Amino acid sequence: MPITPMEVYKLLPKTNCKRCGEQTCMSFAFKVINREKTIEDCKPLFEEEKYRSQKEKLIKLLEPLNKATETGLIVDESKCVGCANCIVVCPVHAAEDPFGAGSGFGPTIENPILRMENGVVKVVNMEMCRRYGKNRTLCVACRENCPSDAISFLEG
Amino acid sequence: MQITCTGCSCLCDDITLRFNGEKIEEVRNACRRGAGIYLHHSSNMAKPKVDGEEVELEKALERAKEIIADSKNLVIYGLDTTTVEAQKVAIELAEKMQAYIDDCSTFCLGDFVEMILKGELPTATLEDVKNNAYVITYWGTDPYNSLPRHMSRYTYYPRGGKRQRGYEEDRYLVVVDVRKSHTAKLAKKNARFIKVDDDLELIDAFMKVMNGKAPEKFADDAARVIREMKKADFNVIFGGLGLKYGLNGNYKPFIELTKKLNEISKVYFIPAGFHANMRGFNETLFEKTGCVNRYSFREQKCSNDFAFSRLIESNAVDTALIIGSDPLNSLPFDVAKNLAKINTIVIDPRRSFTSEIAKVVLPSAISGVEQSGTMVRSDGVKVEVKAVVEKDVNDVYLLKDLVRAV
Repeated sequence: MPITPMEVYKLLPKTNCKRCGEQTCMSFAFKVINREKTIEDCKPLFEEEKYRSQKEKLIKLLEPLNKATETGLIVDESKCVGCANCIVVCPVHAAEDPFGAGSGFGPTIENPILRMENGVVKVVNMEMCRRYGKNRTLCVACRENCPSDAISFLEG
Repeated sequence: MQITCTGCSCLCDDITLRFNGEKIEEVRNACRRGAGIYLHHSSNMAKPKVDGEEVELEKALERAKEIIADSKNLVIYGLDTTTVEAQKVAIELAEKMQAYIDDCSTFCLGDFVEMILKGELPTATLEDVKNNAYVITYWGTDPYNSLPRHMSRYTYYPRGGKRQRGYEEDRYLVVVDVRKSHTAKLAKKNARFIKVDDDLELIDAFMKVMNGKAPEKFADDAARVIREMKKADFNVIFGGLGLKYGLNGNYKPFIELTKKLNEISKVYFIPAGFHANMRGFNETLFEKTGCVNRYSFREQKCSNDFAFSRLIESNAVDTALIIGSDPLNSLPFDVAKNLAKINTIVIDPRRSFTSEIAKVVLPSAISGVEQSGTMVRSDGVKVEVKAVVEKDVNDVYLLKDLVRAV
């Protein structure tokens, strides 16, 4: 299930104390989901006893963040049948490997983003993904073409 | 090591294996179905058996020869997962013994292959589809589950030839099914999912649209698909078991539909979804006899009465030679249980339900892993299959030995 900034915001102190360096708690919530900040940066949440139950809920809510790759991609291998739709549709694969993955074959480049290993999709090289780094775009081509929902993204 | 996968009729030839010593450690590019064959090829191996007791292979072979020589009515069944070379020897054996021969295509897509071989349906290769096809229709089939890499390797997703912009702009996907299958979920942009209750209603709607009339049902869907088909000079229909059983043996409306479609545009038909070399068996038998399956060499004709399940049900045979198939698992139990009453010989690399009740079990080799040969892809292209570790005792060896004895 995707985590929304609103869900995170609801569990924050909502005091806009600015101790984390952000102007508001809402913008802090966005940054937590984008993984530019961690939940530990919210000082009142960890220092003040009255926020304890909120803090525990929030840590539980954000558990999937640790499992996801740096672009927010989550692969559930148990649901994957190995159709390789994600590998062929990937626009980066099509550009970098036009006669391999772009033409339907297995990737022929050294480090593709995704590769079929033992019948299920594995994330090999996340740095090539368009969602990686500063100038990212929110591409969802692989998720859109996965009918068994083996691929999902943090933001939904 | 690059090999060809024999998991289904796609016969993907870009699978790479990585070894750790002799053991296959990693399979790349294969789907879950294909990878399983290579990762677990040495598990659950069959052992030579006579009457349920383990014996030497020679002894089991001797007993099989005796049973076949004594049989009056022999049926040979299976053969869909083995190579064309083995199928030829099996057909030779059937001819010598004046036996019945049949494979799973009787209740699978054999009828469509027959129509293609007789020239009633226009067909193309999957490479042509990749390079040219615009409207890609999956009718009564769910390739996501039955042929996992079909869409990504050959049809909808790859870019190639005239269709460089791929699925995003250069393809139009149509999925016809009775329920929203996994493949139907992929019909999003530039695509249509048509939910049918009766395939004939949809065929009728297409015909009416082409004749300039308004159909009562599917008016919007049928008109849109026909309009898209007119845009390109290469469209394709992949027919599966849903279409076969939807038509219920009456293929005339469908043949007429493809003829009519070919008057306004170019539409090809390719069957989709069966065992690795089912089409190979159909073509080999067709070359020899003019029939694709359920053939009797004694009566020199094919008939529904010679279908394996009918022969077993009516106790018309006294011996069954089953090669690479598990009818006790795949046929209705009431029918298949008769196999225990007659002399059953099983040639299979793995243990199966049928091998548990068989009089003689002859272990052979897995095609594509332990035996090389030729296979025929779903579109009729011959593909060479190379073994990873060649085994001496394979289907061809065993069948040739049986042929020599009779």
